[in-house]
Amino acid sequence: MSSSPSRRGSPPHHTGDPAVRVQDLSVIFSHGPGGPVEALKDVSFSLDEGQTCALIGPSGCGKTTLLYTLAGLIKPSSGRVMIKGEPVRPKRRDTALILQDYGLLPWKTVWKNVSLGLEIRRVPREEQQQKVEEVLGSLGLLAMRDRFPGQLSGGQRQRVAIARALTLDPDLLLMDEPFSSLDALTREELQESLVELWQVKRPTLVVVTHSIEEAVFLGQKIIIMSGGPGRVLYELDNPGVGSRGYRRTAEYHRLTTTIRDLLVENRLKSTSHRAQHHPWESIG
Amino acid sequence: MWNKVLLYLTAILLLLLGWWALALVLDSNALPTPPTTFEAFWVAIGGPLKVHLAASLTRVVVSIILAVLLAVPTGLVLGRVKWLDWLAGPLIFLTYPVPKIVFLPVFMAIFGLGNLSKVLLVGLIVFYQMLVTTWDAARAISPQLIYSVTSLGAREWDLYRHVLFPAVLPKIFTALRIGLGTAIAVLFIAENYATNRGLGFYLLETWSRGAYDEMYAGIIAMGLMGWGLYQVLGWLERKACPWMAD
Ligand SMILES: Nc1ncnc2c1ncn2[C@@H]1O[C@H](COP(=O)(O)OP(=O)(O)OP(=O)(O)O)[C@@H](O)[C@H]1O
Ligand SMILES: [Mg+2]
Repeated sequence: MSSSPSRRGSPPHHTGDPAVRVQDLSVIFSHGPGGPVEALKDVSFSLDEGQTCALIGPSGCGKTTLLYTLAGLIKPSSGRVMIKGEPVRPKRRDTALILQDYGLLPWKTVWKNVSLGLEIRRVPREEQQQKVEEVLGSLGLLAMRDRFPGQLSGGQRQRVAIARALTLDPDLLLMDEPFSSLDALTREELQESLVELWQVKRPTLVVVTHSIEEAVFLGQKIIIMSGGPGRVLYELDNPGVGSRGYRRTAEYHRLTTTIRDLLVENRLKSTSHRAQHHPWESIG
Repeated sequence: MWNKVLLYLTAILLLLLGWWALALVLDSNALPTPPTTFEAFWVAIGGPLKVHLAASLTRVVVSIILAVLLAVPTGLVLGRVKWLDWLAGPLIFLTYPVPKIVFLPVFMAIFGLGNLSKVLLVGLIVFYQMLVTTWDAARAISPQLIYSVTSLGAREWDLYRHVLFPAVLPKIFTALRIGLGTAIAVLFIAENYATNRGLGFYLLETWSRGAYDEMYAGIIAMGLMGWGLYQVLGWLERKACPWMAD
């Protein structure tokens, strides 16, 4: 390592605390349909500043819940979530969240949607204008500025959602299945723009995904979760993220195979486990 | 565009022809022919009818504005604040089905025989319709939308302004269209009592004199008032909800 005072080449204001630290986190929804639902149980992991992380696991295993908790929108039932050494707060200014269905407001034009975060923060008009123009330009959306979300394709909408998050210059970017509803090519194209954006701004990035390929392409750390209640099964390191042509490397393919095997193996385990305890479930 | 105009014109023409034919067949004072009626309308609107039209129009517009100003904020807050929703729910849904028109005598006893009791009665009825619509719409807003705007740093007021209000706006216009019809009907009944102004009074008065052509002039005035208000609503809606355009 060099003589630089900060570790891992992070920026000089680095405090030594990880960007995200989750300790023994449990989340219980007390008002589930059939009584309380234990969505997360004893989840622990941490992320370095500027690191990317992919969360993958079966449907209902608590990925969205975990993301909301990182955003401070859901309170932990027990355990701790620290962002840069501080307990998570709902209105932490430098966190941006992009939801499964984009979370764009149908009644606002592209421009207004993208400037919303700045407007809410009472940023002066001129500054808003400059920032929004810059971000829309960088994502190739300037021509769409006066359209409503209903007049855009899925890929364009996704880009708008990303643009809205980027205007806030977040140091923690949380994304819930951002590209799941797109066709394969658009999807890869947006994944690549995301990596490029990340390489420029270096936010800490957490992406929830159902796609093994996406997890391997985007996550320097890949967290595999299992459901009922949601917990962390495995953490894999994936240092190749962001290198040129990563999708075509042997390492990329090896990792996708590993993850596929882990997920399948875990599914077999959990279904046979369930069948032992509730044999009627598989009949009904 | 031109298709639509053509459609309208054809509809009007058919209506007039049917009316004319019926008037000729019945050959009764109670159904004058279109030319007689339009002539009477022309004469009447230059005279007393316009005063009555203005009185009714003012009452309808004032009651609707009052109702909207009270119902929309209340509905938004009830739809957003869980415990208020829980408290107010039974209250509203028990009183909602009661036909408010039965309170006309009570209103006249309390608020006097003048404009106030009529405006309040019509306003109350429209208020209920608007309240229930706004409330339901506010409750139905997806939590994801609220989450995503909250994560941008929104405070409670920002949520009302950027999410709740625009989300219910199209529903408010739909409710206004329905409410407008009810309002005019209720006003007609209310104006049959203790007033000498308004289309309700005018219709009753001309009818009691057997002046059917003038009565029909009043009906036309009422129809025009409704039509005009619908046009205004349509225009406001297009201005206020541009994202709904197809
Ligand atoms: N508000 C809530 N109230 C009660 N239960 C909830 C609530 N939100 C989520 N759950 C439950 O918590 C569990 C985890 O849900 P979550 O949405 O986090 O899963 P997920 O991993 O994101 O699933 P998917 O991949 O399908 O999006 C599920 O069993 C779900 O039914
Ligand atoms: Mg989810």
